[in-house]
Amino acid sequence: MKTFRDTGLLFHRYTLQMLRNPVWLFVGFSSPILYLALFTPMLKHVAPTLGVRSGGVLEIFLPGILALLAFASGISMGFSTIFELQAGVIERFRVTPASRFAILIGPILSGLMMMAVFDAVVVAIAVGVGFQVHWLGLAALAVLLGLLAALMAAFSTATALVTREINSFAAIINGLNLPILLLAGVLLPISFGPVWMRVLAHFNPLYYAVQASRALATGTFGAPAVWQGFAVLAPLCALIIFWATRVFRKAVA
Amino acid sequence: MEAIISTTDLRKQFHSRRGAVEAVRGVSIEVGRGEIFGFLGPNGAGKTTTLRMLTTLLPIDSGSATVAGIDVARRPKQVRSRIGYVSQLGGADELATGRENLILQGRLYGGDLASVSSRAQLLMEILDINEFADRRVKTYSGGQRRRLDVALGIVHEPEVLFLDEPSTGLDPQNRAHLWDHVRALRSRGTTIFLTTHYLEEADVLCDRLMIMDHGQIVAEGTPRDLKRQVSGDSVLLSLHDEGGALARARLLISAEPYVRELTTDGDQLRLYVEDGSAALPGLLRLLDRERIALKSISLSEPTLDDVFLHQTGRSLRDAGTNTTESAA
Ligand SMILES: Nc1ncnc2c1ncn2[C@@H]1O[C@H](COP(=O)(O)OP(=O)(O)OP(=O)(O)O)[C@@H](O)[C@H]1O
Ligand SMILES: [Mg+2]
Repeated sequence: MKTFRDTGLLFHRYTLQMLRNPVWLFVGFSSPILYLALFTPMLKHVAPTLGVRSGGVLEIFLPGILALLAFASGISMGFSTIFELQAGVIERFRVTPASRFAILIGPILSGLMMMAVFDAVVVAIAVGVGFQVHWLGLAALAVLLGLLAALMAAFSTATALVTREINSFAAIINGLNLPILLLAGVLLPISFGPVWMRVLAHFNPLYYAVQASRALATGTFGAPAVWQGFAVLAPLCALIIFWATRVFRKAVA
Repeated sequence: MEAIISTTDLRKQFHSRRGAVEAVRGVSIEVGRGEIFGFLGPNGAGKTTTLRMLTTLLPIDSGSATVAGIDVARRPKQVRSRIGYVSQLGGADELATGRENLILQGRLYGGDLASVSSRAQLLMEILDINEFADRRVKTYSGGQRRRLDVALGIVHEPEVLFLDEPSTGLDPQNRAHLWDHVRALRSRGTTIFLTTHYLEEADVLCDRLMIMDHGQIVAEGTPRDLKRQVSGDSVLLSLHDEGGALARARLLISAEPYVRELTTDGDQLRLYVEDGSAALPGLLRLLDRERIALKSISLSEPTLDDVFLHQTGRSLRDAGTNTTESAA
């Protein structure tokens, strides 16, 4: 009960902070739109040579963008944690009796909500340029992306609490970012790559998220990628949130 | 005196790549309910570290601490609901207004919106925040922000309030205001535990204080007792040195029972006495009787800086500037 209440309070606070940050809002809306506007036309040209019918380009590309957005919005969460650590905000919250889980999850949920808004805009634009919506698939996709973003956000927040300063935090996050993105087939399916890439990809949670997203976007619930995606992301998400809450409890912040 | 904060042999070590830093090395204190207890020490003395252990923010390495009768290490949750803490950094939300900050803080302590709002309003009046209460904190001046920080620490009416350098950044007028407010809090039964670098603040505001250096307590007591136990007062005499008057005065004065110590510096005599204002009349009478002509005489009371000097061999004014470890 108390956890719910505290979560609500911190959710509200974090949402207000984001809405009051115009630069953040601008980047949040513009980056997915830029991807769509600048990348899709190129894909349309290469699609036939890769054996994808040109109408199917968005079906492959849009889920990739959405997964990328979820991943990026989650993993960048720790930057604001670092800032708030240095400003003493987190310490102020930690001295109150507020639930530690709420201090972690309030901002994460707020981030998820903002992501849902950005995603809705992207999907709406995609529909405008010929993307066919499968409603049930889209709903399941939203859950999947929520898991992915929450998992990355909890990971990023906990990493921020452990490293406590921007340089080591940024080094870790940037170091992880590139290999994870390249081995996930975000923009093009990994099946276009050589065998070693396909093997390595199976150790990458984002890969499962992207595969499942592609299946869900077309409403193909029967595809093995769908259950595999949830089977990887759900437990991993629970595990990381558990770890992050522990870090919050103990953190030498 | 009922102890509301008590610690025994509190210790904390930090490990960094360049080795361990012993930030707090065996601190034992007792603070009575309703006291203003001060923690005076140079940069890096371990003041913040001690405070963060007492406020549940930092695990205690060894030793024990209770606040409001509750063991800090074992029952941090119960401790949290009874204390308020204003950190050295403050920690208000920059993008929120002062009022929003106060209301959220009050609600995190469990208050409902209506009562927290009226409490926030009251505090904003008392601390003179009203004028800028609905502006974003980002736009506040240093002193305005510090007042908000203090308000955030007391929005839930804690039993014990921890203030880490509350008056840093305040102008003399606002500092005096803050002192008044701290005294008012005490008169309503709140215990206040504050750290400071300001000798004057420690002297004027605190009922009792502890002087800390390199993680250890070097002296403890009321400001008055501390200053007394150092050297008593010092009296500076300037004489016309005619016909060996100086040597004669020296001999005579050192024979007086109330003189503890006597030093000569040119034509000046400096003597340390138990109680300067009581010794002065006798001293004047003696010199008069012996017809020793006086150029000037002055009495100075010891400061807390003298106490620090006496205990550590360094002056508080230059201590701490050469610490190589940077604060986190
Ligand atoms: N998280 C940390 N990691 C490593 N060392 C630390 C950490 N926090 C404090 N220290 C070290 O512990 C010592 C005591 O620091 P502390 O912040 O308690 O001093 P302080 O008395 O509050 O000083 P100031 O007056 O500058 O605020 C310093 O040498 C500091 O560098
Ligand atoms: Mg400090």
